[in-house]
Amino acid sequence: MTYEERVAEFKAHIDDGGKVDAGDWMPDEYRQLALKFIEMHANSEVMGALPEGTWIPKAPSLKRKLSLTSKVQDEVGHGQILYRVAEDLGKSREAMFDDLVNGRTKFHNVFHYPAETWGDVAYIGWLIDGAAIVNQRALLDSSYLPYVRAMRRVCAEESLHLRHGLEMVIELCSGTEAQRELFQDAVNRWWEPTMHFFGPASKQKDMLLYWGIKTRSNESLREEFLTTYVPKLWDLGISIPDPKLAWNDSAGSWDWSEPNWDTFWKVVGGNGPMTTVRLAQRKTVWDTHAWIREAFAGIPAAA
Amino acid sequence: MEVWDVLGKRTEADEWTVVGGVKAPNDPHMAILLARESFFRHKEGVAFAVRRRGTDEVFVDDEPAEVLGGLTDRSYRRQEAYAGVGGRLRRVSKVLADRGVRIDRPRPPDQRIRAADP
Repeated sequence: MTYEERVAEFKAHIDDGGKVDAGDWMPDEYRQLALKFIEMHANSEVMGALPEGTWIPKAPSLKRKLSLTSKVQDEVGHGQILYRVAEDLGKSREAMFDDLVNGRTKFHNVFHYPAETWGDVAYIGWLIDGAAIVNQRALLDSSYLPYVRAMRRVCAEESLHLRHGLEMVIELCSGTEAQRELFQDAVNRWWEPTMHFFGPASKQKDMLLYWGIKTRSNESLREEFLTTYVPKLWDLGISIPDPKLAWNDSAGSWDWSEPNWDTFWKVVGGNGPMTTVRLAQRKTVWDTHAWIREAFAGIPAAA
Repeated sequence: MEVWDVLGKRTEADEWTVVGGVKAPNDPHMAILLARESFFRHKEGVAFAVRRRGTDEVFVDDEPAEVLGGLTDRSYRRQEAYAGVGGRLRRVSKVLADRGVRIDRPRPPDQRIRAADP
Protein backbone atom coordinates (compact mmCIF):
# COMPACT_ATOMS: atom_id res chain seq x y z
CA MET A 1 0.00 0.00 0.00
CA THR A 2 1.39 3.44 -0.92
CA TYR A 3 1.59 6.31 1.56
CA GLU A 4 -1.27 8.08 -0.27
CA GLU A 5 -3.46 4.98 -0.03
CA ARG A 6 -2.79 4.68 3.69
CA VAL A 7 -3.68 8.37 4.13
CA ALA A 8 -6.93 7.87 2.20
CA GLU A 9 -7.79 4.85 4.36
CA PHE A 10 -6.99 6.83 7.52
CA LYS A 11 -9.17 9.74 6.36
CA ALA A 12 -12.06 7.38 5.62
CA HIS A 13 -11.67 5.93 9.13
CA ILE A 14 -11.88 9.43 10.65
CA ASP A 15 -14.86 10.42 8.50
CA ASP A 16 -16.60 7.26 9.65
CA GLY A 17 -16.27 8.40 13.27
CA GLY A 18 -13.24 6.21 13.97
CA LYS A 19 -10.67 7.12 16.63
CA VAL A 20 -6.89 7.14 16.62
CA ASP A 21 -4.87 5.94 19.61
CA ALA A 22 -1.31 6.84 20.57
CA GLY A 23 0.42 3.86 18.98
CA ASP A 24 -1.64 3.83 15.77
CA TRP A 25 -0.29 4.78 12.37
CA MET A 26 -1.21 8.35 11.36
CA PRO A 27 -0.26 10.68 8.50
CA ASP A 28 2.58 13.11 9.27
CA GLU A 29 0.25 16.05 8.77
CA TYR A 30 -2.22 14.67 11.34
CA ARG A 31 0.56 14.07 13.85
CA GLN A 32 2.02 17.56 13.45
CA LEU A 33 -1.35 19.32 13.64
CA ALA A 34 -2.46 17.34 16.70
CA LEU A 35 0.87 17.97 18.41
CA LYS A 36 0.82 21.72 17.79
CA PHE A 37 -2.80 22.02 18.93
CA ILE A 38 -2.41 19.94 22.10
CA GLU A 39 0.93 21.54 22.97
CA MET A 40 -0.69 24.98 22.74
CA HIS A 41 -3.54 23.73 24.94
CA ALA A 42 -1.05 22.40 27.53
CA ASN A 43 0.92 25.68 27.44
CA SER A 44 -2.31 27.59 28.07
CA GLU A 45 -3.17 25.49 31.10
CA VAL A 46 0.14 26.12 32.86
CA MET A 47 0.22 29.80 31.88
CA GLY A 48 -3.46 30.15 32.83
CA ALA A 49 -2.66 29.20 36.41
CA LEU A 50 -0.59 32.38 36.87
CA PRO A 51 -3.20 35.20 36.76
CA GLU A 52 -5.35 33.48 39.39
CA GLY A 53 -2.35 32.22 41.33
CA THR A 54 -1.34 35.79 42.14
CA TRP A 55 -4.64 36.19 44.03
CA ILE A 56 -4.24 33.21 46.37
CA PRO A 57 -2.45 35.27 49.07
CA LYS A 58 -5.01 38.07 48.69
CA ALA A 59 -8.20 35.96 48.65
CA PRO A 60 -10.92 37.56 50.81
CA SER A 61 -11.65 34.48 52.97
CA LEU A 62 -10.17 31.10 53.89
CA LYS A 63 -12.91 29.35 51.88
CA ARG A 64 -12.02 31.32 48.76
CA LYS A 65 -8.30 30.78 49.35
CA LEU A 66 -8.77 26.98 49.57
CA SER A 67 -10.98 26.76 46.50
CA LEU A 68 -8.74 29.05 44.44
CA THR A 69 -5.63 27.10 45.44
CA SER A 70 -7.35 23.88 44.44
CA LYS A 71 -8.41 25.37 41.10
CA VAL A 72 -4.88 26.56 40.33
CA GLN A 73 -3.58 23.07 41.16
CA ASP A 74 -6.17 21.61 38.77
CA GLU A 75 -5.09 23.93 35.93
CA VAL A 76 -1.43 22.97 36.31
CA GLY A 77 -2.53 19.33 36.50
CA HIS A 78 -4.34 19.74 33.17
CA GLY A 79 -1.07 20.99 31.74
CA GLN A 80 0.73 17.87 33.02
CA ILE A 81 -1.92 15.56 31.55
CA LEU A 82 -1.89 17.34 28.19
CA TYR A 83 1.92 17.45 27.90
CA ARG A 84 1.86 13.67 28.43
CA VAL A 85 -0.67 13.31 25.58
CA ALA A 86 1.42 15.58 23.34
CA GLU A 87 4.65 13.71 24.13
CA ASP A 88 3.30 10.58 22.46
CA LEU A 89 3.06 12.59 19.24
CA GLY A 90 6.82 12.96 19.12
CA LYS A 91 8.06 15.94 21.15
CA SER A 92 9.48 15.64 24.65
CA ARG A 93 8.00 17.54 27.58
CA GLU A 94 11.40 19.20 28.12
CA ALA A 95 11.43 20.49 24.53
CA MET A 96 7.85 21.76 24.82
CA PHE A 97 8.51 23.59 28.09
CA ASP A 98 11.78 24.98 26.77
CA ASP A 99 9.98 26.33 23.69
CA LEU A 100 7.23 27.83 25.87
CA VAL A 101 9.44 29.67 28.36
CA ASN A 102 11.66 30.99 25.57
CA GLY A 103 8.68 32.38 23.66
CA ARG A 104 8.93 30.01 20.69
CA THR A 105 5.41 28.55 21.08
CA LYS A 106 2.07 30.15 21.85
CA PHE A 107 -0.51 30.10 24.61
CA HIS A 108 -4.09 31.43 24.73
CA ASN A 109 -4.51 35.19 24.40
CA VAL A 110 -6.47 35.62 27.65
CA PHE A 111 -3.50 34.55 29.77
CA HIS A 112 -1.39 37.44 28.51
CA TYR A 113 -3.54 39.91 30.50
CA PRO A 114 -3.27 41.05 34.13
CA ALA A 115 -5.76 39.99 36.81
CA GLU A 116 -6.08 43.40 38.42
CA THR A 117 -8.86 42.89 40.97
CA TRP A 118 -10.88 40.21 42.75
CA GLY A 119 -13.57 41.00 40.16
CA ASP A 120 -11.14 39.66 37.54
CA VAL A 121 -10.79 36.43 39.51
CA ALA A 122 -14.58 36.02 39.47
CA TYR A 123 -14.67 36.83 35.74
CA ILE A 124 -11.93 34.33 34.93
CA GLY A 125 -13.53 31.63 37.10
CA TRP A 126 -16.94 31.91 35.47
CA LEU A 127 -16.47 33.32 31.98
CA ILE A 128 -12.95 32.38 30.91
CA ASP A 129 -13.54 28.89 32.26
CA GLY A 130 -16.99 29.06 30.66
CA ALA A 131 -15.42 29.88 27.29
CA ALA A 132 -12.86 27.12 27.80
CA ILE A 133 -15.49 24.53 28.65
CA VAL A 134 -17.45 25.37 25.49
CA ASN A 135 -14.27 24.62 23.52
CA GLN A 136 -13.30 21.58 25.55
CA ARG A 137 -16.70 19.89 25.49
CA ALA A 138 -16.52 20.03 21.69
CA LEU A 139 -13.17 18.22 21.91
CA LEU A 140 -14.82 15.22 23.61
CA ASP A 141 -15.62 14.14 20.04
CA SER A 142 -12.07 14.61 18.77
CA SER A 143 -10.63 11.88 16.56
CA TYR A 144 -7.50 11.58 18.74
CA LEU A 145 -8.49 9.23 21.58
CA PRO A 146 -5.79 10.14 24.16
CA TYR A 147 -6.94 13.76 23.83
CA VAL A 148 -10.55 12.67 24.39
CA ARG A 149 -9.52 10.83 27.58
CA ALA A 150 -7.73 13.95 28.80
CA MET A 151 -10.77 16.10 27.97
CA ARG A 152 -13.07 13.81 29.99
CA ARG A 153 -10.90 14.53 32.99
CA VAL A 154 -10.46 18.24 32.23
CA CYS A 155 -14.16 18.91 31.53
CA ALA A 156 -15.19 17.33 34.84
CA GLU A 157 -12.85 19.69 36.69
CA GLU A 158 -13.74 22.71 34.57
CA SER A 159 -17.43 22.30 35.37
CA LEU A 160 -16.47 22.45 39.05
CA HIS A 161 -14.44 25.62 38.37
CA LEU A 162 -17.41 27.10 36.56
CA ARG A 163 -19.63 26.70 39.62
CA HIS A 164 -16.88 28.12 41.81
CA GLY A 165 -16.66 31.14 39.48
CA LEU A 166 -20.42 31.59 39.26
CA GLU A 167 -20.70 31.57 43.04
CA MET A 168 -18.17 34.42 43.25
CA VAL A 169 -20.01 36.38 40.54
CA ILE A 170 -23.36 35.99 42.32
CA GLU A 171 -21.75 37.16 45.54
CA LEU A 172 -20.39 40.31 43.89
CA CYS A 173 -23.54 41.06 41.84
CA SER A 174 -25.89 40.67 44.81
CA GLY A 175 -23.61 42.65 47.12
CA THR A 176 -22.92 46.34 47.54
CA GLU A 177 -22.78 48.83 44.70
CA ALA A 178 -18.97 48.81 44.98
CA GLN A 179 -18.91 45.02 44.59
CA ARG A 180 -21.15 45.20 41.52
CA GLU A 181 -18.89 47.87 40.05
CA LEU A 182 -15.86 45.69 40.69
CA PHE A 183 -17.38 42.94 38.54
CA GLN A 184 -18.72 45.35 35.90
CA ASP A 185 -15.23 46.83 35.57
CA ALA A 186 -13.80 43.33 35.04
CA VAL A 187 -16.39 42.63 32.31
CA ASN A 188 -15.54 45.92 30.60
CA ARG A 189 -11.83 45.02 30.43
CA TRP A 190 -12.16 41.30 29.70
CA TRP A 191 -14.89 41.29 27.06
CA GLU A 192 -12.69 41.94 24.04
CA PRO A 193 -10.07 39.33 25.05
CA THR A 194 -12.96 36.88 25.57
CA MET A 195 -14.23 37.48 22.02
CA HIS A 196 -10.66 37.04 20.81
CA PHE A 197 -10.46 33.74 22.72
CA PHE A 198 -12.58 31.91 20.13
CA GLY A 199 -10.32 33.14 17.35
CA PRO A 200 -11.16 34.78 14.03
CA ALA A 201 -13.60 33.13 11.64
CA SER A 202 -12.43 29.62 10.75
CA LYS A 203 -10.76 29.25 7.37
CA GLN A 204 -12.78 27.66 4.60
CA LYS A 205 -10.63 24.56 4.92
CA ASP A 206 -9.56 24.33 8.54
CA MET A 207 -7.23 21.32 8.62
CA LEU A 208 -7.95 20.67 12.30
CA LEU A 209 -11.61 20.24 11.35
CA TYR A 210 -10.66 18.22 8.26
CA TRP A 211 -8.84 15.65 10.39
CA GLY A 212 -11.46 15.68 13.14
CA ILE A 213 -8.96 16.87 15.76
CA LYS A 214 -11.34 19.78 16.29
CA THR A 215 -15.01 19.15 15.61
CA ARG A 216 -16.62 22.59 15.54
CA SER A 217 -15.84 25.95 13.94
CA ASN A 218 -14.80 29.01 15.91
CA GLU A 219 -18.09 30.71 15.00
CA SER A 220 -20.33 27.97 16.36
CA LEU A 221 -18.36 27.87 19.62
CA ARG A 222 -18.60 31.65 20.03
CA GLU A 223 -22.37 31.52 19.37
CA GLU A 224 -22.80 28.84 22.04
CA PHE A 225 -20.82 30.93 24.51
CA LEU A 226 -22.93 34.04 23.81
CA THR A 227 -26.20 32.10 24.13
CA THR A 228 -25.12 30.49 27.40
CA TYR A 229 -23.67 33.48 29.20
CA VAL A 230 -24.90 36.81 27.80
CA PRO A 231 -28.53 36.48 28.99
CA LYS A 232 -27.28 35.50 32.46
CA LEU A 233 -25.06 38.60 32.60
CA TRP A 234 -27.99 40.79 31.54
CA ASP A 235 -30.20 39.15 34.18
CA LEU A 236 -27.60 40.19 36.74
CA GLY A 237 -27.77 43.76 35.42
CA ILE A 238 -24.26 43.58 34.02
CA SER A 239 -23.80 45.39 30.71
CA ILE A 240 -21.46 44.21 27.98
CA PRO A 241 -19.23 46.74 26.22
CA ASP A 242 -20.59 46.01 22.75
CA PRO A 243 -23.58 48.18 21.73
CA LYS A 244 -24.30 45.89 18.79
CA LEU A 245 -24.60 42.73 20.89
CA ALA A 246 -28.15 41.31 20.54
CA TRP A 247 -29.87 38.15 19.41
CA ASN A 248 -31.00 38.42 15.79
CA ASP A 249 -34.25 36.47 15.47
CA SER A 250 -34.38 36.46 11.69
CA ALA A 251 -30.75 35.30 11.33
CA GLY A 252 -31.08 32.86 14.25
CA SER A 253 -27.69 34.01 15.56
CA TRP A 254 -26.06 36.81 17.52
CA ASP A 255 -25.13 40.21 16.15
CA TRP A 256 -21.86 41.37 17.68
CA SER A 257 -19.06 43.79 16.87
CA GLU A 258 -15.83 42.38 15.50
CA PRO A 259 -13.12 42.97 18.10
CA ASN A 260 -9.85 44.52 17.02
CA TRP A 261 -8.07 41.52 15.47
CA ASP A 262 -4.76 43.41 15.20
CA THR A 263 -4.71 43.43 19.01
CA PHE A 264 -5.36 39.68 19.04
CA TRP A 265 -2.47 38.91 16.67
CA LYS A 266 -0.16 41.20 18.60
CA VAL A 267 -1.03 39.50 21.91
CA VAL A 268 -0.74 35.89 20.73
CA GLY A 269 2.46 36.85 18.96
CA GLY A 270 4.00 37.39 22.39
CA ASN A 271 3.36 41.12 22.90
CA GLY A 272 0.54 41.10 25.45
CA PRO A 273 0.56 43.30 28.55
CA MET A 274 1.84 40.49 30.80
CA THR A 275 3.60 38.17 28.34
CA THR A 276 7.16 38.97 29.35
CA VAL A 277 6.46 38.89 33.09
CA ARG A 278 4.58 35.59 32.95
CA LEU A 279 7.15 33.85 30.76
CA ALA A 280 9.91 35.08 33.07
CA GLN A 281 8.04 33.59 36.05
CA ARG A 282 7.75 30.22 34.35
CA LYS A 283 11.34 30.30 33.10
CA THR A 284 12.69 31.06 36.58
CA VAL A 285 10.85 28.09 38.06
CA TRP A 286 11.88 25.85 35.14
CA ASP A 287 15.54 26.76 35.58
CA THR A 288 15.71 26.66 39.38
CA HIS A 289 13.84 23.35 39.59
CA ALA A 290 16.07 21.53 37.11
CA TRP A 291 17.55 19.51 40.01
CA ILE A 292 14.13 17.92 40.70
CA ARG A 293 13.89 16.64 37.13
CA GLU A 294 17.45 15.36 37.36
CA ALA A 295 16.70 13.59 40.67
CA PHE A 296 13.62 11.91 39.19
CA ALA A 297 15.52 10.78 36.11
CA GLY A 298 18.18 9.22 38.34
CA ILE A 299 15.84 7.08 40.48
CA PRO A 300 16.88 3.44 39.96
CA ALA A 301 14.40 0.69 39.18
CA ALA A 302 12.61 -0.77 42.22
CA ALA A 303 13.97 -4.12 43.36
CA MET B 1 11.64 7.96 32.82
CA GLU B 2 8.96 5.60 31.54
CA VAL B 3 5.42 5.97 30.30
CA TRP B 4 2.75 4.41 32.53
CA ASP B 5 -0.91 4.02 31.60
CA VAL B 6 -3.25 5.04 34.41
CA LEU B 7 -6.36 2.90 34.98
CA GLY B 8 -9.34 3.69 37.14
CA LYS B 9 -12.64 2.27 38.40
CA ARG B 10 -15.51 4.62 39.16
CA THR B 11 -17.42 1.93 41.09
CA GLU B 12 -16.53 -1.51 42.40
CA ALA B 13 -18.61 -3.08 39.63
CA ASP B 14 -16.62 -1.37 36.84
CA GLU B 15 -13.81 -2.90 34.80
CA TRP B 16 -10.46 -1.13 34.72
CA THR B 17 -10.56 1.73 32.19
CA VAL B 18 -7.58 3.69 30.86
CA VAL B 19 -8.05 7.29 32.00
CA GLY B 20 -4.69 8.70 30.89
CA GLY B 21 -0.98 8.38 31.48
CA VAL B 22 1.97 9.66 33.48
CA LYS B 23 5.71 9.65 32.97
CA ALA B 24 7.53 8.35 36.01
CA PRO B 25 10.76 6.64 37.03
CA ASN B 26 11.02 2.88 36.63
CA ASP B 27 9.24 2.31 39.94
CA PRO B 28 5.52 1.47 40.25
CA HIS B 29 5.27 3.28 43.60
CA MET B 30 6.43 6.53 42.04
CA ALA B 31 4.04 6.01 39.12
CA ILE B 32 1.16 5.38 41.55
CA LEU B 33 2.00 8.53 43.50
CA LEU B 34 2.03 10.68 40.35
CA ALA B 35 -1.15 9.04 39.01
CA ARG B 36 -2.97 9.72 42.30
CA GLU B 37 -1.99 13.41 42.23
CA SER B 38 -2.84 13.80 38.55
CA PHE B 39 -6.10 11.88 38.27
CA PHE B 40 -7.64 11.11 41.66
CA ARG B 41 -7.71 14.29 43.74
CA HIS B 42 -11.50 14.75 43.59
CA LYS B 43 -12.75 11.30 44.65
CA GLU B 44 -13.17 10.27 41.01
CA GLY B 45 -13.46 6.58 41.76
CA VAL B 46 -12.91 3.70 44.16
CA ALA B 47 -9.61 2.32 42.84
CA PHE B 48 -6.79 3.10 40.50
CA ALA B 49 -3.74 1.37 39.10
CA VAL B 50 -0.78 1.86 36.78
CA ARG B 51 0.62 -0.32 34.03
CA ARG B 52 3.99 0.16 32.37
CA ARG B 53 3.19 0.86 28.71
CA GLY B 54 3.65 -2.19 26.54
CA THR B 55 3.32 -4.67 29.44
CA ASP B 56 0.36 -6.44 31.04
CA GLU B 57 1.29 -6.27 34.73
CA VAL B 58 -1.07 -3.98 36.64
CA PHE B 59 0.02 -2.35 39.91
CA VAL B 60 -2.99 -1.43 42.02
CA ASP B 61 -2.84 1.31 44.65
CA ASP B 62 -3.49 -0.32 48.03
CA GLU B 63 -5.29 2.63 49.62
CA PRO B 64 -8.83 1.67 50.67
CA ALA B 65 -11.55 3.29 48.55
CA GLU B 66 -12.80 5.50 51.37
CA VAL B 67 -9.33 6.99 51.82
CA LEU B 68 -8.71 7.64 48.12
CA GLY B 69 -8.92 11.37 47.55
CA GLY B 70 -8.14 12.05 51.21
CA LEU B 71 -10.01 12.06 54.53
CA THR B 72 -9.55 15.76 55.24
CA ASP B 73 -12.64 17.80 54.37
CA ARG B 74 -11.81 19.02 50.90
CA SER B 75 -15.39 19.36 49.69
CA TYR B 76 -14.39 22.63 47.98
CA ARG B 77 -12.72 20.38 45.44
CA ARG B 78 -15.98 18.71 44.51
CA GLN B 79 -19.27 19.57 42.81
CA GLU B 80 -21.40 19.10 45.92
CA ALA B 81 -19.77 22.11 47.58
CA TYR B 82 -21.44 24.26 44.94
CA ALA B 83 -24.85 22.53 44.88
CA GLY B 84 -27.69 24.97 44.35
CA VAL B 85 -25.60 27.66 42.68
CA GLY B 86 -27.85 27.60 39.58
CA GLY B 87 -30.96 28.11 41.73
CA ARG B 88 -29.24 30.95 43.54
CA LEU B 89 -28.46 32.61 40.21
CA ARG B 90 -32.17 32.49 39.29
CA ARG B 91 -33.24 33.88 42.68
CA VAL B 92 -30.70 36.72 42.55
CA SER B 93 -31.69 37.47 38.93
CA LYS B 94 -35.34 37.71 40.01
CA VAL B 95 -34.49 40.12 42.85
CA LEU B 96 -32.41 42.26 40.48
CA ALA B 97 -35.23 42.21 37.88
CA ASP B 98 -37.66 43.45 40.57
CA ARG B 99 -35.21 46.24 41.36
CA GLY B 100 -35.19 47.21 37.68
CA VAL B 101 -31.53 46.31 37.24
CA ARG B 102 -32.07 43.58 34.63
CA ILE B 103 -30.98 44.52 31.11
CA ASP B 104 -33.58 43.85 28.43
CA ARG B 105 -31.96 43.15 25.09
CA PRO B 106 -33.01 40.72 22.36
CA ARG B 107 -32.05 37.20 23.46
CA PRO B 108 -32.51 33.65 22.12
CA PRO B 109 -36.00 32.12 22.56
CA ASP B 110 -35.04 29.49 25.17
CA GLN B 111 -33.35 32.18 27.24
CA ARG B 112 -36.55 34.27 27.15
CA ILE B 113 -38.45 31.41 28.77
CA ARG B 114 -35.79 31.01 31.44
CA ALA B 115 -35.72 34.74 32.12
CA ALA B 116 -39.50 34.77 32.59
CA ASP B 117 -39.33 32.15 35.38
CA PRO B 118 -40.80 33.40 38.65
